This record gives sequence, structure tokens and C-alpha cells, in this order.
Amino acid sequence: MDSNCHFPHLSSGNKFSTEEFIGQLKRQLAQAYAEKFLETVRGKCFEKCITKPGSSLGRGESSCIWRCVERYIEATGIIVLRNSLREFLMAV
Amino acid sequence: MDPSSLNSAELQRLISQEKERAMVNEMVAKLTSACWDKCITGTPGSKFSSSESSCLSNCAQRYMDMSIIIMKRFQSMQ
Repeated sequence: MDSNCHFPHLSSGNKFSTEEFIGQLKRQLAQAYAEKFLETVRGKCFEKCITKPGSSLGRGESSCIWRCVERYIEATGIIVLRNSLREFLMAV
Repeated sequence: MDPSSLNSAELQRLISQEKERAMVNEMVAKLTSACWDKCITGTPGSKFSSSESSCLSNCAQRYMDMSIIIMKRFQSMQ
């Protein structure tokens, strides 16, 4: 994790609930994951679809970007489904 | 689970579960990125061709095979 992550905020005084802590942790991890995913998709689709930047985004470029995002999400699904990553992590 | 108390062992277990989940997500992200670069050579279409989708599937599995070989090689060096 980078320096932008901070520890989950304790709600009051010394007492805090495990549930609250884990809830905040999950939310922060989910947010970090989503940001990273978006950054990756931006990079890939810029490379594939914006070959020669013009003075505005063309219709071809826009539809390419749309398809690119869909395909990238689909590719992620293929990687997850067709492979037992969990088992692999256990074995390592 | 009593929501108002801190159970250290329970907390550790939950944190470690989240850590594992984060590691899997990281692995998926890396693999998808690498396999996309290898397999999707042209402009993205409205669906994957059968060669593109089998390439993606194969890519992930070959990466796993490779990781195991690398591990074994390192272990044999020690």
C-alpha cells in the first residue's frame, strides 16, 4: 500500500469494534483496488484507441474506448474464472 | 461476535483474510495486464475472437506453470 492509505479511523475514545475496523479496512482496500483498475484501463485503452490525438475525440475513438473497457473487464473475468488463483496462493 | 469488544485473535484472522484477498486481487490485476498485452494485439472488437479468448485463458495458466517452475528452481538452489 502506498502512503495515501491511512489506518481506519477509530470512532470514539479507546473502544472500537472489530466490525467497524474491518468494515473500514474493506472499504479502503476496495477503493484502492478500483482506483488501480481504472488507472490500468485508462492506460490500455489510450494505447489501443487514441493512436493520433486530434483536436477532439472522434466517434471511432469513442466507440473503441467503449469496447476496450468492456473487453478489459471481460479479460479480467477470464483470468479469474479459468484459473485457480486461490489454490495457487495456498501452495506457494 | 460482540461488536463492542476487541478480540485480538479474531481481528488478526479477519485482517489476514483481507490481506489474502488483496493479494489475489493484485495477482489478477497483474496477470490481466500482462495477458492483455500479449493476446489483444489489434483494436478491441465488440467481442473477443476465439483465438483471443483462448490466448487469455492459456496465458494465465502458463504464467502459473512458470511461477511454480521458478519457485522449484530457487528451492533447488538452496
